[in-house]
Amino acid sequence: MSSLGIIGEAARENSFVLLQIGHRRIALPAAQVAELAPPVRLHAFPHRTPLLAGVIVRRGRIVPVIDTEPVLGGKSPLSHRFYLIANRTIGGASELGAIPVNGECELVSGDMQPPAMDRPAYVAGTLTVGEESVDVLNLDAFSTGDSTPQDSEASR
Amino acid sequence: MTSATRPGEEANASGQASRRSETVVLFIVANQMFAVAADSVHEIRSTDSIAGAANEIEHPGVPKVRHTIERSGRTYYVVNAGMHFGLPVSRPALVMILRRFRAALLVDRIDRMAEISGVYPLPQAFAGDDRRWYRGLAYLDDSVIPVVEPRGFLTPGEFQQLDRAQSEAARRDPEAVQA
Repeated sequence: MSSLGIIGEAARENSFVLLQIGHRRIALPAAQVAELAPPVRLHAFPHRTPLLAGVIVRRGRIVPVIDTEPVLGGKSPLSHRFYLIANRTIGGASELGAIPVNGECELVSGDMQPPAMDRPAYVAGTLTVGEESVDVLNLDAFSTGDSTPQDSEASR
Repeated sequence: MTSATRPGEEANASGQASRRSETVVLFIVANQMFAVAADSVHEIRSTDSIAGAANEIEHPGVPKVRHTIERSGRTYYVVNAGMHFGLPVSRPALVMILRRFRAALLVDRIDRMAEISGVYPLPQAFAGDDRRWYRGLAYLDDSVIPVVEPRGFLTPGEFQQLDRAQSEAARRDPEAVQA
C-alpha cells in the first residue's frame, strides 16, 4: 500500500485516488484525501442523519464516518479494512469525513469528464482508467441529502 | 489511546473540544450510553418510588411523553428516552428529573458519574434532529459518548402541546389531576 501522505503531496488537479468500496471502483480527487486510516473502532450512537454510520477517533480528531453502502451498495466480506479520510465541505465549512474502503488505493492521473445528466448527485464526474470508466465521488453530496438511496445505483 | 492522541489535542477549529472539564452522569438506555451534565440533573428516583405521584397524559403529537410527575410544586413531563432516541424498547427503571427544565427522563440505569476533560463539538456532518439532541461528544475510556442537551428532549412546541393537553385534562377532571 502506498502512503497516502505521499499521494497527498503529489496530488495535482488531475490526480485521483482509485479505491474500492464494496465491489465498486471509485475515484476521489487526490487533493481531498487526507489519510488512509487503519480499521479503528467505529463509535455509533443514535442519530437521525442519513448516510452516517458513526464516528472514529483519528489523530486527535473525531471524524464522522459516511455510510456509503445504501448509495453504492456492494457489501463485501473485506469491508472496513481501512478508512479513507478526506476533506469535504458542509455548509461552507471544511470538515474531515471517513469512508470505509476495502481495497488497495492507487494514484492515477486523468481528466475528469462531467457526469451524464442522469447520474446521481454523488457522482462528480467520470474518469477513464485503462478501458474502465470510473465514477468520481462527490463527497459533499453525502452531506446534503442529495445522495439518497432512491437515486442510487444500488437500489436500481 | 495515549494522551498524545486524545481528541481535540491538535489545533482543529471544527473539532476542538471546549477545555472546561465537567462532571457528567453516564446513563444507559437500551444498552446505549449517554452523558448528561451532572449540574443539569436535579434528582434521580426509581420508577417504583414515584409511581404514586405520576399522572397519565396523552398527546398524539408527543407520544414519548405518557406521564407527568409533580415535584416541588412543578409539573414535569416524563420523556421516554428510548423513544426519544428511536432505540429499541427497554425497561426503564429510573426517572432522571432535570434541573431548569420541566422535563424528566425515563432511563434504564445509571452507569456512574465521571469527570470529562471537555465536550467536543458535534461534527457538522450530523444534520438531523441529532443537532438538537446533543451538546457534543465526550471521549471517555476509549469510547465516544454523546453528551445530551437537556433542552433537546422537548421542543418549545412540544411543551406547548403538552401544556394544552394538561390544561384540558385539568378542566375535564380537576380532581384526578390534583390527586
